[in-house]
Amino acid sequence: MSEENKYWHILDEFEPVEDARTKETLDVPVDASSRRNFLKLLGLGTASAELIASCKRPVEKAIPYFIKPEEISPGKAAYYASSYFNQNEFSSVLVKVRDNRPIKLEPNPKSVINPSGTSGKVQASVLDVYNVNRFNHPTKSGEKIDWATADQEIVTQLRELANQGDNIILVTPTIISPSTQKLIAEFCTEFNAEWQVYDAIAMDGYREANRRVYGNAVLPEYHFDKAECIVSIGCDFLGTWLSPVEFSAQYAKRRDLRKGTHDLNRHYQVEAGMSLTGSNADIRIRADKNEYGRVVTYIYNHLAAKNGLPFIESKPPTAELAENLSGLLSDLVENKGKALVVCGDNNPEYQVIVNGINQMLKSNGTTITWNNNYNHFQGTEKSIDTILKENIGAIVLWDVNPVYNHPSADKVKAAIEKAKLSVTLSSLPDETSDLCDYVLPSPSFMESWDDAEYKKGVVSVLQPTLHKLFDVRQAQETLLSWLGNDTVWREYIKNNWLANYYLLQTTTLDKDRFWVNVVRSGEFVYDVKSTLLTYNFDEVKKALVTVSKEKVVDGFVIELVENINIGTGHGALNPWLQECPDPVTRIAWDNYASIAPSIARQMGIKNGDVIKVGALTIPAFVQPGQADHTVSVAVGYGRTIGIPKELVTGVNAYPLSLIQNGFRLNSVVGVSIEKTGEFEKLPLVQGHQSQEGRPLAREATLKEWKHDHHAGNEMHEVAEHHATSLYPGHEYKGHKWAMAIDLSKCTGCSACVLACNTENNIPVVGKKEVLAVHEMAWIRIDRYYSGEEDNPEVVRQPVMCQHCDNAPCENVCPVAATNHSSEGLNQMAYNRCIGTRYCNNNCPYKVRRFNWLDYTGADSIPNNRYDPANLTVDLSRMRHNPDVTVRAKGVIEKCSFCVQRIQEKKLNAKLEGRQLYDGELQSACQQACSLNAIVFGDVNNPESEVAQMMKDPRNYHLLEEIHTLPSVGYLTKIRNIS
Amino acid sequence: MSHQLFKVQSLLNLSFLALFLFSCIAGTAKSSDSHSGKHSRSDVKQGERYYKGLLPKASPNPSCVSCHYYKPADTINWNPASIEIAELYLNKSSEDLEEVLLSPFGKVMSVAHANIDVPQDQIQYVKAYMDNLAENGLPKDKPSFLKLLLFLLIGGVMTWALLDLIFFHKVKFKAIPILIILLALGYQLNMAYEAAVKLGRSDTYQPDQPIKFSHKVHAGDNKIDCMYCHHTADESKSANIPSTSLCMNCHIVVREGARSGKFEIKKLVEAYEEGRSIEWVRIHQLPDHVFFAHAQHVGAGKLDCAQCHGAVEEMHILKQENDLSMGWCLNCHRETKVDFEDNEYYQMFDEFHKELSEGTRDSIMASDIGANECSKCHY
Repeated sequence: MSEENKYWHILDEFEPVEDARTKETLDVPVDASSRRNFLKLLGLGTASAELIASCKRPVEKAIPYFIKPEEISPGKAAYYASSYFNQNEFSSVLVKVRDNRPIKLEPNPKSVINPSGTSGKVQASVLDVYNVNRFNHPTKSGEKIDWATADQEIVTQLRELANQGDNIILVTPTIISPSTQKLIAEFCTEFNAEWQVYDAIAMDGYREANRRVYGNAVLPEYHFDKAECIVSIGCDFLGTWLSPVEFSAQYAKRRDLRKGTHDLNRHYQVEAGMSLTGSNADIRIRADKNEYGRVVTYIYNHLAAKNGLPFIESKPPTAELAENLSGLLSDLVENKGKALVVCGDNNPEYQVIVNGINQMLKSNGTTITWNNNYNHFQGTEKSIDTILKENIGAIVLWDVNPVYNHPSADKVKAAIEKAKLSVTLSSLPDETSDLCDYVLPSPSFMESWDDAEYKKGVVSVLQPTLHKLFDVRQAQETLLSWLGNDTVWREYIKNNWLANYYLLQTTTLDKDRFWVNVVRSGEFVYDVKSTLLTYNFDEVKKALVTVSKEKVVDGFVIELVENINIGTGHGALNPWLQECPDPVTRIAWDNYASIAPSIARQMGIKNGDVIKVGALTIPAFVQPGQADHTVSVAVGYGRTIGIPKELVTGVNAYPLSLIQNGFRLNSVVGVSIEKTGEFEKLPLVQGHQSQEGRPLAREATLKEWKHDHHAGNEMHEVAEHHATSLYPGHEYKGHKWAMAIDLSKCTGCSACVLACNTENNIPVVGKKEVLAVHEMAWIRIDRYYSGEEDNPEVVRQPVMCQHCDNAPCENVCPVAATNHSSEGLNQMAYNRCIGTRYCNNNCPYKVRRFNWLDYTGADSIPNNRYDPANLTVDLSRMRHNPDVTVRAKGVIEKCSFCVQRIQEKKLNAKLEGRQLYDGELQSACQQACSLNAIVFGDVNNPESEVAQMMKDPRNYHLLEEIHTLPSVGYLTKIRNIS
Repeated sequence: MSHQLFKVQSLLNLSFLALFLFSCIAGTAKSSDSHSGKHSRSDVKQGERYYKGLLPKASPNPSCVSCHYYKPADTINWNPASIEIAELYLNKSSEDLEEVLLSPFGKVMSVAHANIDVPQDQIQYVKAYMDNLAENGLPKDKPSFLKLLLFLLIGGVMTWALLDLIFFHKVKFKAIPILIILLALGYQLNMAYEAAVKLGRSDTYQPDQPIKFSHKVHAGDNKIDCMYCHHTADESKSANIPSTSLCMNCHIVVREGARSGKFEIKKLVEAYEEGRSIEWVRIHQLPDHVFFAHAQHVGAGKLDCAQCHGAVEEMHILKQENDLSMGWCLNCHRETKVDFEDNEYYQMFDEFHKELSEGTRDSIMASDIGANECSKCHY
């Protein structure tokens, strides 16, 4: 095929010369020869000790329940509907509880927000619950205190301060819980307090722009599935922007060549740094971050001219950029009423212009609707102004960390220290809670009652699925206690629901039944009346004038971005999220400054060279597709408090963000780059993975595909034709499990990787071991570049064990620890494995993982343990899925096709005396995928979706020419480019 | 080679010797320290003699130990064991003990204690003995070193033969020491092999339970269905050990056993009143890397409980019938027919159904549909 040679990989010239595996990365704390001797002696010793016969088996207890709850049976999972909301990330979930321990979050299929799939952060949040660094009792100046005393002291002080007329400020992140909002209002009235909302990532510019143009300071609903043409200007809507899981699902609907229409949407991305969304765009246009203003103005002016509307003359972007934008402009004009333009910058002026563009495109009512508006991202700069402006009497901080994530952190710190009373209600220690007099810790969300109205008209309930692990109290209970209100918080929520939402429905008359139904299903939906929009053109005109006067500043622009896993910094505390590599750069455990190849070449910078850029000293990473004068740095790293020493990694980039006219902009202009001469090896998990001329990830354009459905996949027939084997094939008389992955849909968001981690007890190995190429994830998402180095095309391919019918690993295992099942699984018996790693060497896909050290604590020899993230202590071991063996040192592991789920669902079918129906059995990765890119099922059932996909002309197998006969099929990626 | 063998052999023998000596010393150290300060040594001794019936002249009463053993034996002893009585009365006075001894409560005890008359001073001695028992626990069983001694003896013979072969040359024919070494080594290896096979297996395990719960009384005599107590056996991995509240469904009324009297059931009632679970001793236990589902076998496979657990309804003290080894599982899978006709689930095995209808096959065994594959139990 023509494409095969054009794939390339990391620009090799920017790889540092020295070997990745330096001495330090390999210094593992074990002396191999002495271990062997020890094992020999131990083996001899155990057998001989048993000989003595006085050796008795340890007495184990079997302790039943006192009163067994009806819905909980030992050995069986129970599911509870609940929700996840943290740092503006929302998900409606089912919590899987085994033996009273929540162990997994699964999407709630009845949800109207995210019925299929969650984000990776939601998947990994199980680990947050069992975080050993959580506060476990209230403290006053670091000393333990009991709740009653703390309450009494604080209330006395609050009343005194209120009487003196001192300020009392309550700072929270966005609260989307209607009941909590009500409670906070009560608190504010009682103590004459002021409530301020502060978010680490701000979207107040959007609300402001919508207020100016439409008189409605809300965040409207976007419908990416209704847009034929999507234009995104620096907006990472598939990764981190507004509601990425929802948008990914919508996006995937228009990327489906099997079920949907054959007309894919066309996605243009104009951006500076390569984002997840940009890497999935059909056409990606490179533009520096400081050109976004000119780009939106240019688009506006062009459309206005076409529509005969007035426009403001302004300086156009560079000729090259203008030329690149021409296709975009003609597509927008063509798709009027079916187009959507979004911009990812918090600058309200840009957003006003974008509103103007969408108004001309008649997007309102089709691709943007103003009914079920989003309630999150309510934080404003006003919150910090309030803290800094006045002398604070008392400050109550709840889950906010401005000392870490605000540019004026020092001033905020001083203000909190100066306050007469400072109280934190957070559950985890952080840079801000460290300064507070009183720490009144709250539990994790899985131990709490709450409600949430993420989108107007959809209200969800959070219910506890775990008994409180520590002596903690929900922040709301604390407020109730301060108010002297002895209502139980759960009753408070219920009363609020009965007073408000009960009246909005007619299906259930009984109030208690209504509440029980809501708690059971997790969500309640009510109708929202649509608001009439009045378009204010004057504001658009004003914004156009303002933007056209923007000065061009020389030098580089630093763009602050969010890593899909680390987010605003909360993810930095979660070792699973840290170890999951960034889907674009494939770097785990660190942040870095992405710079353009041309600049790197000019300045002689290689990957890992530490550079000084603005106020940051940070290793550089050469990112193909990066705009020349933009340096992208992820925020959320460099946390120091509330985090084990080994997890402290990266540099805090928040101090760079800029406050302009009261709005926080995540960029800073006019900086220079300087080499420091230092070097820091980046934990890159995809070092050398060039396709080496082999068509691993196949692709074609939509036009080619329409002409011939085999386009880009011509190799498949050739491989099938030449395939022959000396061995007799396997017989599959019952099921034959298989998986199909649609590369057209996969965006690389990594939710599958994290779901797999959670489901299969996959260990965390830490930064040092990742540098030694010992990472353990069962799914890796390979990313290949093709085309120009300045602006390459990207293709992603999730690779897990391919469960080959002709498996090279099976033939070489000397102890038959890995062999083939009658259902097509490549089975791995851990307790049979002796760790020769022959299978790993013989696997062409390199999907087998070896436990080099005892990462899990499953090993019986304590000195073998290697646990940088503190995950082998009893508390964090509670996260383990009891249906999956926790592997010890010295064994190979790999994707099992979630055999524990296969066994469970088959058993359920047998017990009910029915056949297994298609779609009932979902692998963990499939379940977490909001794009439905992964389909798992039984190919022996011709009606099953996976069997249909295997017959699709786009289907092929990885390295099919070597005739391994994988059970995993890939469907070629189709790009909608002309 | 032979030098190395000799080195390993002597090292091994030495280590066993050390282990043996250490356990002996540790054992003596423990027994010399078994006297508490609360009662004088002579009181305790006198109480022990009375309890065990070691009296200078024949007593009209049976000795205490004839009914109240130290602890339950292989065959059930319905009466409270001495240690249990001792622990119960540790913080009570000897008058309390006297009262319950001489004016018994409950039908069973009234009959047993009908003609018993114990002088007051003897009760005090017995109380002293019991307090001592409760504080220091039962005298430890001395471990049996028979096998070890045999092992060492063979080792010794082997060492002698080896030394003779290399240095002394006392035996005329070289073949004799060589033969002795080979035989001895073979025997030792066999001992080690047998021990290794038994590692982690515990068939015939029959531990004492905190309550003398008899499956024979419940499942046998009273014909309570297994699934009444173990009610998740057909739907969950675990069969469920009944909760205290479930026991109380019957024992809210049944407060005295025909043979055990009130003593055992009282333990349950007390646990219930205090909101406690009973801490049973676990008998059937598979290693952590084995995933066994009761539901598969009881619910889907419709197996009888007795097939794995034996005639539980005849056991006063529950015993593990089978070794629960992998070989035992696989054998059963090879011999057990799958209910292919009635369960709709198996409809998808088209080829097997064809073979069945054509008569080329008369039944489908569990192993035919993959029951013996690794990932059916190990994942």
